Amino acid sequence: METKELQEIASLLRFEAVRMVYEGGDGHPGPALSSADIVTALYFDILKIDPANPDWADRDRFILSKGHACPIWYAALNERGYFQPKVEHFHLRQLHSEFQGHPSMKNTRGIDMTTGSLGNGIAIGAGMAIAAKATGKDYYTYVICGDGELQEGLCWEGANMAAGRGLDNLIVFIDKNGYQSYKTVDYTVGRNNPAERFMAFGWDVQEIDGHNFDEIKAAVAAAKQNKGKPSCIVCNCVKGKGVSYMENNNNWHKGVPTKEQFALAARELRGISL
Amino acid sequence: MRAFSGSREAFAAALLDMAEYDERVMVISADSLKAMRAVPFGEQYPNRYVECGIAEQCAVDVAAGMASCGLIPFVGTYCGFLTMRACEQLRTFIGYTHLNAKFVGFNAGLLGGEREGVTHQFYEDIGIVATMPGIQIFTPADPAQCYHAIRMAAEVEGPVYVRAGSGREVSVYGNDAPFATSGITVWKRYGTDALLLSNGFVLDRVLAAAELLSQREIHVTVADINILYGDDASEILREMAAANLVVTVEDHNINGGLGSYISKLACENRPVRVHRIALTSYGESGPANELADAYGFSPEAIAQAVAAARTQQ
Repeated sequence: METKELQEIASLLRFEAVRMVYEGGDGHPGPALSSADIVTALYFDILKIDPANPDWADRDRFILSKGHACPIWYAALNERGYFQPKVEHFHLRQLHSEFQGHPSMKNTRGIDMTTGSLGNGIAIGAGMAIAAKATGKDYYTYVICGDGELQEGLCWEGANMAAGRGLDNLIVFIDKNGYQSYKTVDYTVGRNNPAERFMAFGWDVQEIDGHNFDEIKAAVAAAKQNKGKPSCIVCNCVKGKGVSYMENNNNWHKGVPTKEQFALAARELRGISL
Repeated sequence: MRAFSGSREAFAAALLDMAEYDERVMVISADSLKAMRAVPFGEQYPNRYVECGIAEQCAVDVAAGMASCGLIPFVGTYCGFLTMRACEQLRTFIGYTHLNAKFVGFNAGLLGGEREGVTHQFYEDIGIVATMPGIQIFTPADPAQCYHAIRMAAEVEGPVYVRAGSGREVSVYGNDAPFATSGITVWKRYGTDALLLSNGFVLDRVLAAAELLSQREIHVTVADINILYGDDASEILREMAAANLVVTVEDHNINGGLGSYISKLACENRPVRVHRIALTSYGESGPANELADAYGFSPEAIAQAVAAARTQQ
């Protein structure tokens, strides 16, 4: 898909993510906006999927390891046609809603793996990648992790074994926006250097602008050329990207816009007046 | 059925037998392949053996990923590292998702950990797994039952936790005895003075205690409970209905295991006095039999506890 189209879709998904947090009265808009362009590139350009057949055995797998960013995933699934009829109001985090506070494969069509508890996506993705090799399938498994999430030791258990097993059908994006719940990643652990770390674990590593579709697409294409190693694409992102008052403002890690703030987001993302 | 000696060898034998006809069966190791006695599986099926290294959380997550793609992974390692180190992974990515993955916790209990000491003796595992809805709990008493428990784990849909021994357990069952789907196998019917319910690898000791009690004119019924917190407890309840006293015996902490399960059944269905023989402290290093004797599982200690419980009626 052309970059301009992807940009247009990403703006729509961003608006939808903010809208579902606004309407639901709870959620994590900043992390969702940070991952928006990676998710858009995956669902509208990269993934081999069939929305009409979400259990297709040969489909590419996707895990949102930073599951709290799920509003952007729900928006992508909706725009990609996973829900018939299309969802108008997500009722995010509401009782009996299809759209849980964190992604649940039992509740939501198109979700390959439950997430939300940080640190698990790489190891689970490794399991999916191993399954592909064991069953002779050529699908890829894609994972998005946060940079703060990498503080979980289990990420490195997964990174270790994925490299040890030579899982070149596993591609992990690091949404490197520099923030976590309380403060910055640098403040928390001193060094936010996932590229060096994954390289040391024996991965193929690239570092790109996580809001540039050409770079995301090119990095995935390059990752697929790499043989014998899992791939890590470190994406430099802006937390809250696309909504002026949320960008690099960690108060929006979790938060709900007021009516006025929501109207401003609508104007900035969609050029519409509410 | 290929030959095996202990419970760990039985695990490997069951997997090798199943692998011949079911390509979905996989083995995940947390550097536990040797300890699980499953090296022959790894050698014969290198593409169906996944090594995760000393990383139990990773092993459980890998199982979740593989199961989500239609495979039937078996994770086998020390039961405490599986159920405690990887507790949250079991709960969120296996129990909650209800994926078709199987978990075998070896070297359970005092008997399983024996000389290694408390760091390798796990008597809390059933209590932990029992609070995770949807995970079935199988507790084979000996190697033959372990073989059949592994086979049944593969056949049933959804997650299963098998609590297995270390090879110190005494063989009681015949090789062809099925793993009872009713969750109970009655071994002795000497009388109804008490119903002795055994769980796991203390069965031989409970049977020996029943003989001692018979010599003292206390005539008991002895049964092995091999499925805990199962959906259908009707057969267990039928045996309990005939008893005025139920005594549970298990190599597990007194909370969360067999005693808790039977107490629950009694409270909810038919009030009857339940006396629990189980561990109330951490253990220590020692040869398996001496250790079990020292912590209240000698036939004499069990017999005395039953006799004392009767006088408290």
